[in-house]
Amino acid sequence: MRSLNPACKFTGLLAVTFVLAWRHDPVLNLIVSVLSILLILSARVKVKSLLLFMSPVLLFAVGMFFTGFYFSAGSDMPVNEKTMAFASSSFWNGLTLASRVLAFAGIGYLFALTTDRILLVRSFQKQFHLPQIFAYGLLAAWGILPHMMQEYRRTRAAFQARGIRTFAVSPALLGPLLVKSVRWSEELSIAMESKGFSGHEKRTDFQPVRVHGYDWFFLGLCIIVFPVAAVFV
Amino acid sequence: MEDPKFLLLKSHRKFRLARAKRKDKTTMKKNTWELKDVIMMAVLGVVFAAVYMAVFYGGMAISTALTPMGLSAFGFELIYGVWFMAATLAAYIIRKPGAALIAEVLASAIELLMGNSGGLTVVLTGIIQGLGAELVFAAFRYKKWNFISMSLAGMLSAVFIFCYELYYLSYYLLSPALLAAQLGVRFVSAILFSGVICKLAGDGLAKTGVVKSYAIGAAADTGTIYDEED
Repeated sequence: MRSLNPACKFTGLLAVTFVLAWRHDPVLNLIVSVLSILLILSARVKVKSLLLFMSPVLLFAVGMFFTGFYFSAGSDMPVNEKTMAFASSSFWNGLTLASRVLAFAGIGYLFALTTDRILLVRSFQKQFHLPQIFAYGLLAAWGILPHMMQEYRRTRAAFQARGIRTFAVSPALLGPLLVKSVRWSEELSIAMESKGFSGHEKRTDFQPVRVHGYDWFFLGLCIIVFPVAAVFV
Repeated sequence: MEDPKFLLLKSHRKFRLARAKRKDKTTMKKNTWELKDVIMMAVLGVVFAAVYMAVFYGGMAISTALTPMGLSAFGFELIYGVWFMAATLAAYIIRKPGAALIAEVLASAIELLMGNSGGLTVVLTGIIQGLGAELVFAAFRYKKWNFISMSLAGMLSAVFIFCYELYYLSYYLLSPALLAAQLGVRFVSAILFSGVICKLAGDGLAKTGVVKSYAIGAAADTGTIYDEED
């Protein structure tokens, strides 16, 4: 999974997500979520971090199950023949909604945990023709995230030192952070301009992002094989 | 302060301010994206993506508490307006056509980079929400920037994303009364976050003077402002 072209991986997994949204099949959802967890583990992601990410999702899935269980739409809802079977039974209804949450989260983490972020933006720039100014703007903004986190912790510590209690998203913390972020954004753009970046010049790549044969194979698997299998099996 | 780096930064900033003023007088080119606009939107995206993360766990806690009653979906409805903030705030500051849409998409791209449980469709939802906000500002011809237009932008985003969720999350399997209640709660949340809080945040930023090179800062009366380095 790690060596796939990020843009191709994105497109393929998006296609899988749409197929799942179109077919409301709890079994299919569960198969996909188990499969994506296996793929995540095979990409040597630590089990502990996976559990950390997946546990809130599990909670939410349980919540969705009960919502679907108690508040199912009656069979008079405009649903087609296939979904009528699910809509009529509140248990299946809850299971459909819950398994969907699991499958979508599984695919989401499969993408997020096995993709290099910088490569992703560069791949979007190359394969999806994202304008240079947005690609590098994104990368620059992404680069100041650690700085922002540090500043947040610092402000919080400063309040604590004065004996003022703050909660995680209190305005007293976010206000100064917003002001500083705007300052940084201006300084960052000045720095980039002064290094000669205008967003319109032709650039060469240090590490070109290419689409290989196996990327096409993966794309074919997601866009052609999976929908066909989902419909007929 | 004798560091030449600061002097250079200050002179460049003055140069850009002067250039911005010149441009305003002569060409009124409003539709081109400058680097500073793009970085500004991306940085706002980073701030809000971090806020989304924090809020996501808060929403999770609320919805877990509501689970036994089968009302867990409401946990997120209460705070849904937070997800419309990037678009409204960026549009309020930059005031250019397309700012709301692009800022929301950039924020969702940052969310994708951070990794979230919503999956890959965050970018898609970003586009949908951004379109909702953008349409309202366009309907006002990018001239009205007040509480009303910002609240309406948030509410149309809410409607757009709700229609999408009806299909994507199969919410049509739920009863219509519950769905209507969800949409109602979401409207309140949109007005609170993208109307009230974004307006306050934008005005606060204008008052500090950090946004003086953007449209909102030009409109605000701030008096003399000293730089960090002055």
